[in-house]
Amino acid sequence: MKHATIFFLYVSQYMKTRLTYRVDMAMEIMSDLLFQAVNLIFILVVFGHTNMLSGWSRDEIIFIYGFFLVPFAIFGAFFNIWDFNERYIVKGEMDRILTRPVHSLFQIILERMELESLFGMITGIAVMVYAGSRLDLTLSWYDPFVFLMMVIGGAFVYAGIFVLLASISFWSDSRTSIMPMMYNIGNYGRYPVDIYNKVIRFILTWILPFAFVGVYPSAYFLGREEWYGYAFLTPVIGFAFFGFAIFMWNIGVTKYRGAGN
Amino acid sequence: MEKVIDVQSLRKDFKSHSSRSGLKGAFRDLFTRNYKVISAVKDISFTVNEGEMVGYIGENGAGKSTSIKMLTGILTPTSGTVRVNGMDPHKEREKFVRSIGVVFGQRSQLWWDIAVQESFRLLKKVYNVPDDVYNEHMNHVIESLDIGPLLDKPVRKLSLGQRMRCELAAALLHNPKLLFLDEPTIGLDVLVKLKIRNFLKEINEKYKTTILLTTHDLTDIEALCDRVVMLDEGQIIYDGKLAKLRSNWGEGKQIEFQFGEDVNKEKLVPLLNELEAEWTIGDRPNVFVANVVNEEHVISEVIGRVVAAHRITDIKIHEISTEEIIRNIYEEGMLNG
Repeated sequence: MKHATIFFLYVSQYMKTRLTYRVDMAMEIMSDLLFQAVNLIFILVVFGHTNMLSGWSRDEIIFIYGFFLVPFAIFGAFFNIWDFNERYIVKGEMDRILTRPVHSLFQIILERMELESLFGMITGIAVMVYAGSRLDLTLSWYDPFVFLMMVIGGAFVYAGIFVLLASISFWSDSRTSIMPMMYNIGNYGRYPVDIYNKVIRFILTWILPFAFVGVYPSAYFLGREEWYGYAFLTPVIGFAFFGFAIFMWNIGVTKYRGAGN
Repeated sequence: MEKVIDVQSLRKDFKSHSSRSGLKGAFRDLFTRNYKVISAVKDISFTVNEGEMVGYIGENGAGKSTSIKMLTGILTPTSGTVRVNGMDPHKEREKFVRSIGVVFGQRSQLWWDIAVQESFRLLKKVYNVPDDVYNEHMNHVIESLDIGPLLDKPVRKLSLGQRMRCELAAALLHNPKLLFLDEPTIGLDVLVKLKIRNFLKEINEKYKTTILLTTHDLTDIEALCDRVVMLDEGQIIYDGKLAKLRSNWGEGKQIEFQFGEDVNKEKLVPLLNELEAEWTIGDRPNVFVANVVNEEHVISEVIGRVVAAHRITDIKIHEISTEEIIRNIYEEGMLNG
């Protein structure tokens, strides 16, 4: 309860500051939209040359992309802590966080949130509706709830991986290029995993489970029954990864060395 | 009296790897690394009672920040025990930090882009302070620190002195029993410093707030603290009254003579025969300083003899400042002064 009130206070503060920099905000939303459009065009170009990719049609792949955008937007809004190392460890801002009576990760999420990213959800849903209508998908009454679970699961997968990476900074504060690389790997989850070779498929399922952000949960809505097992694992994997990440974070905090001064 | 801080043989080691030189060395580093263990804080023990104001001093790298960070729960100690406000800071961090206030002079607690009062509002929620307690306590704080007119300005538009006063108010928002101040007056002008000092004295009297103060500005310590804890190379080299430190180490006085004629040390030395005094050469031509013990007859004897023998244009008598005392202690590296 207390966390919820703190959350909404931060959100309202965030909106207040953002509204004073209106141009910045508009630019950010524009560039997000542009980025999504480019990705969509890429898919269309690929399908200009072929009709099927390992048994997946163009509209199915567009649907997967649309689904992916929704958990990715939530991740981008709250867990995008790629600059954690530099900001909080090297500059020592973590000191300040640790003198406040709220869980450190929660505070950092609140300080680093970028609510503009949530617009990506709208794009994602629009893309899904477009692809879905071309595929004649029908919805049951429980599908919205399943959708919610899948989205939360997918967002937690992403969040878990990035929180784990951020936790590494507690042990070693040397700068690494893992974060940008991870964004690229994350993109692989947008395409059906059976187009990749076995090793990559295994990695995307069990080690860096990005497949649970895109393909697997979408398979459920596309009625691909052969993938249902994986589809329903999405929330499980999400909670497991996120839980593990928080566990490692908590250990990491005790290893925090502070910025030298 | 109740112990607010109780530290027993507290130690913090940092492991850092030292890289070998050259390309070959870099290759070897890939496989086996040389670790060096550096002890920032070496088994220190001390206690602080309720209502005390303690100056915590030491040169850069003496272990001040590291020990303060262990006391505030930011760092985990390597060994030893810390009890602050009856809690183990890093184990019960979230509960513990409610009972302390922290001001790091070089790091802002406030949000840069939003108005000061909005920052206060967020912190009030974070610390869960009830409205009535907040209003009564904070109105007083805001008035004493004279920050009322600043409340609706964003922090980035405040001057350093204004910001510092707001930081202090933010740290006291939940009326903590114990306040850690790390360099709270760094870079501030005299008037703001005085205001902050008076305020600290006031809350110390009113709420019996215990204050642990680190600073490079010893005038802060002289103005506020009865007791000092001095660190050097991770160990406590002095813990006791500031006054005692002064009387043990600051016994002498310096008499500075500006001569109206050319003199040299050979001519002057015989003048101090059989007195507890000696000459050092001053920083300008024909200026010499006699370092003497602080006894009336010695001082007058020295002045009398010098004035009788030479023409003088100016005399100054200096008491040795706390700063010099501390510099002397560090230079001599004395233990348990």
